[in-house]
Amino acid sequence: MIKAATLALFMSLQSSGSVLDDPQEEARAQKLMREIRCVACENEPISQSASDIAEDMRDRVRVLIEEGKSDAEIRSWFVDRYGEFVLFRPDAEGVSGMLLWGLPFAILIAGAAVLIARRSTASQSEIDRVAPDHEYEIED
Amino acid sequence: MIEFGHFLAFIGFSLSALLTYVGLKGDRRLAGFLAIAAFLVLFVSFLTIVRAFLISDFSVALVTNNSHTMKPFIYKFAGTWGNHEGSMALWCLVMAGFGAAGAYWLRTGREVFEARTLGVQGLLTTGALAYLLFASSPFTRLDNPPLQGGDLNPLLQDPALAAHPPMLYLGYVGYSFVFALAAAGLIEGRIDQIWARTARRWAMAAFVPLTLGIALGSYWAYYELGWGGWWFWDPVENASLMPWLVGAALLHSVIVTEKRGSFRAWTTLLAVMAFCFSILGAFLVRSGLLTSVHAFAVDPLRGSLLLGGLLFYGGLALALFAARAPSLKGGPEHLLISREGALMGNNLVIFVATLTVLLGTMFPLIAEAAGEVMSVGEPYFNLTFTPIMAIALAVLPIVQAWSWGRADVSSLWKWGAAFLLIVGVFALFGVGPMNIPLLSGVGFGLGVWLIGGAIYELARRAKLPRRVFKLPKRVWGMTLAHAGLGVFVLGAVGETSLRSHTTLALEVGQSTEVAGWAFTLEDVDPIEGPNWYADKATLTATRGGVEALLQPEKRIYPAARMPTTETAIHKTGLSDLYVAIGDRRTVEGAPRWTFEVFVNPMIDLIYWGVLLIGIGGILSMFPGRGKSG
Repeated sequence: MIKAATLALFMSLQSSGSVLDDPQEEARAQKLMREIRCVACENEPISQSASDIAEDMRDRVRVLIEEGKSDAEIRSWFVDRYGEFVLFRPDAEGVSGMLLWGLPFAILIAGAAVLIARRSTASQSEIDRVAPDHEYEIED
Repeated sequence: MIEFGHFLAFIGFSLSALLTYVGLKGDRRLAGFLAIAAFLVLFVSFLTIVRAFLISDFSVALVTNNSHTMKPFIYKFAGTWGNHEGSMALWCLVMAGFGAAGAYWLRTGREVFEARTLGVQGLLTTGALAYLLFASSPFTRLDNPPLQGGDLNPLLQDPALAAHPPMLYLGYVGYSFVFALAAAGLIEGRIDQIWARTARRWAMAAFVPLTLGIALGSYWAYYELGWGGWWFWDPVENASLMPWLVGAALLHSVIVTEKRGSFRAWTTLLAVMAFCFSILGAFLVRSGLLTSVHAFAVDPLRGSLLLGGLLFYGGLALALFAARAPSLKGGPEHLLISREGALMGNNLVIFVATLTVLLGTMFPLIAEAAGEVMSVGEPYFNLTFTPIMAIALAVLPIVQAWSWGRADVSSLWKWGAAFLLIVGVFALFGVGPMNIPLLSGVGFGLGVWLIGGAIYELARRAKLPRRVFKLPKRVWGMTLAHAGLGVFVLGAVGETSLRSHTTLALEVGQSTEVAGWAFTLEDVDPIEGPNWYADKATLTATRGGVEALLQPEKRIYPAARMPTTETAIHKTGLSDLYVAIGDRRTVEGAPRWTFEVFVNPMIDLIYWGVLLIGIGGILSMFPGRGKSG
């Protein structure tokens, strides 16, 4: 009886959403599940969706990890089947990929460069130093 | 009744149009009366819509489409704004409300400026009402009223979501008044320190409810959607984050204008942009352009009209700005290493972060136009937005002590050492004993650094402990907001990097262990509510003598033919044990229930942090010592 219950428990954990034994590997799987889009849902990663296809895709991620595939190999497995659309983290390749990933940092650097280039050339002594709280001085 | 409301809305429209004329002409007294009258008229008009919902008047199309007699009273009431037309009516009401508040509280000693501000607010309200009356009327009657209505989307039948839209709109629409102040200041050609002091107050009056409104929405998504997370980088969430970020940049830039008379052009531009981003958000949510799990009222025509409004108002403001730009230069000189320089850096980082959110949100659309199909989601924002904002957070405690003009940099190396020490200790402790990723450790260090920095700055300004409570409320406001940011960072890093998620499939009576908790599924009962029925599971979880009773539900709302999850959350300290019920399936002939089990450590800190930011914001609206206005 106890043996049967243990077996049932084992089976239940195997049947759906069974987690990987190695916590590091499971963490990897969950990270990937947040990057892969459920192909039948509205803008949801497979980690969130309750749909059957998301469930199947989650299982597939774990199977691929168990087969010893790397993150990049798993991503390309999904891209081969569903296209670039399936990745919430598009590759930094091609013009669009470079723009998407590069623009924020390019604007930040360009902005900082403009601010530095336009800095005051006055010398230290010409400028008054005003404490940030001078207007708030408490009368003793 | 609804015809009366419709009629009043037209009166409100006419009053707003008249207010535009009278206000821009410069008659403060009459403009004030008109602004208050328009608000009162629209308030009564809005009440007629609320009444139609409360009495389930199904001859009104809006009520038929969005309400149901069996719905609990509170959701009949809140259902008024749980749809496109009703929420636009609320938008108009809040906008007129800010006009009335301005008529009452705006006291700068410059009557023509005040009148013109009210006039611009009138112009914005006229536009919003035209959109309401001619493109999204909530007043339409049906020829053959049905006996029963559709239902409010069951996901929205929730206390947090009842309060979320009014809060959010106080923020979004609050920026319309900031826009009006900027436009009036530009017309006058007087963007000066008095203008800045006024603008800062009103910008804060919009920022605080926007902050709390976003937090309410996030908390709702956390416990109602059953996904275990609190922020999903969904286009609709991003639409609310962008005006918040621009608003945060504005609050910092306007300080420089107020205290030093510098940055006048940039501050004015941000004051205009905050409202433009609010309209952009409304456009993104309502046009159906972006796919989102919680976009509503999808209609391309309405979208184009909103875009038209955005271009019209934005263009008008930019034209004014261009005309006045030469007069907005100047202010005392400062070096790069100064309080001005620090706030300039703050604005650069926050602004680039805003553009990053905009880019990530719009990019799939742009790519689609170019024939590519792609998705941009959480991983993108985590790798771009987060590190960019982290730069600002890392330097915040250092630069908040800097003086105007030029800062003393002799102790800079001490600050750098303190930063490296705190972050280093947490990073080492993280990768060592805690066994968490290096960046999570750095994140915790950053949170502690921010909280410590805020407290240190308070102590530095007080000089003596007994004077801490004599410091102006504004200094306390800054301290609480910056410490709140640190608390938020701790919660966000903790939840994101330490959470665990497991899917269980259990038979009734079966037990298993997850994340140290021993779970037993005791029972699953069918239950019935006022307008739903549900399967309610009862689970017990024990860990080290602590016992938790968890009763998640899966509800079906027959009127809307939609299921929802009601999660069960057990709080232990700052962490949540979070269970959502999934499907029932049959495994080897035996019925089993699936459960999504999350352990979300430190999640409460996220909301405590946001609350601190809100309280800090409210405090900083009070006048400083011996200062008024």
